[in-house]
Amino acid sequence: MSNFREAQRQAHPSKTNTLLLGVVCVLILILIMQIWLLTAVLNVSLEGVETLKWPAFIASTLLFLSGVALLRYLPNPIRQARKAREAEAGRKSL
Amino acid sequence: MNTPELPPKPAYEVDFPIERVEAEHVSRREFAKFLCLVSGGMAAGTGWVAVKDRFLPPFKLTGEVRVCLTHELPVGGTHPFRLEGTKMPFILVRPSEHEWFAYEQKCTHLSCAVYYSPATDRIECPCHKGYFDVRSGKVLQGPPPRPLHRLDVVVKGVDVFVRERSQA
Repeated sequence: MSNFREAQRQAHPSKTNTLLLGVVCVLILILIMQIWLLTAVLNVSLEGVETLKWPAFIASTLLFLSGVALLRYLPNPIRQARKAREAEAGRKSL
Repeated sequence: MNTPELPPKPAYEVDFPIERVEAEHVSRREFAKFLCLVSGGMAAGTGWVAVKDRFLPPFKLTGEVRVCLTHELPVGGTHPFRLEGTKMPFILVRPSEHEWFAYEQKCTHLSCAVYYSPATDRIECPCHKGYFDVRSGKVLQGPPPRPLHRLDVVVKGVDVFVRERSQA
């Protein structure tokens, strides 16, 4: 079996850390854009302007969905370690 | 060869098969999920504003409504009034003999009650020192982001009426 991943992990041990930090930073940026959109929509709504509301809602929803998609790339070292332990235990029991 | 039997798992481990480290760990992973939850809230809030404006449009006055008699409001005075169908307070002001203006009484900044000051001939918000032009409702100074919502005033004989502002 290839040990490429293991070699990668050893070469760059803080990769998980970097990945998590990157995802959190992107999520914060998404949130800032959404706050800006909501503020703009509230302002135009109070001014009685009819445009902008639905496009802003669509944009905000797309940003949210992109954030959800980003969660897929979140590393989960605890679960990965548990799965590895369970797999190891399964192999031993055979 | 006999293999030694392991003792049975304690009941608590069967009931709650989650490791302590997982139960107590508040990770950046969870923080990221929380950010995503707030992001969903923002999207829902933006949608709520759009839906509310579409299905619950803001109050519009239909027709003319009599507010008071001309002699009930002296020059430099203010007459507060309410309209049916809204909880919004309004004020009728009379800066000079033949000038009548009606505005919403809520400041566009943080909804404090505004008042007309005859000494400065401006509408003032005492909370954060916002000032509005009494003749147009436009912001002269301070934090309010928008002009005051204005109604048209019509004087017919001794009766003073208000109506929704014409677009022209």
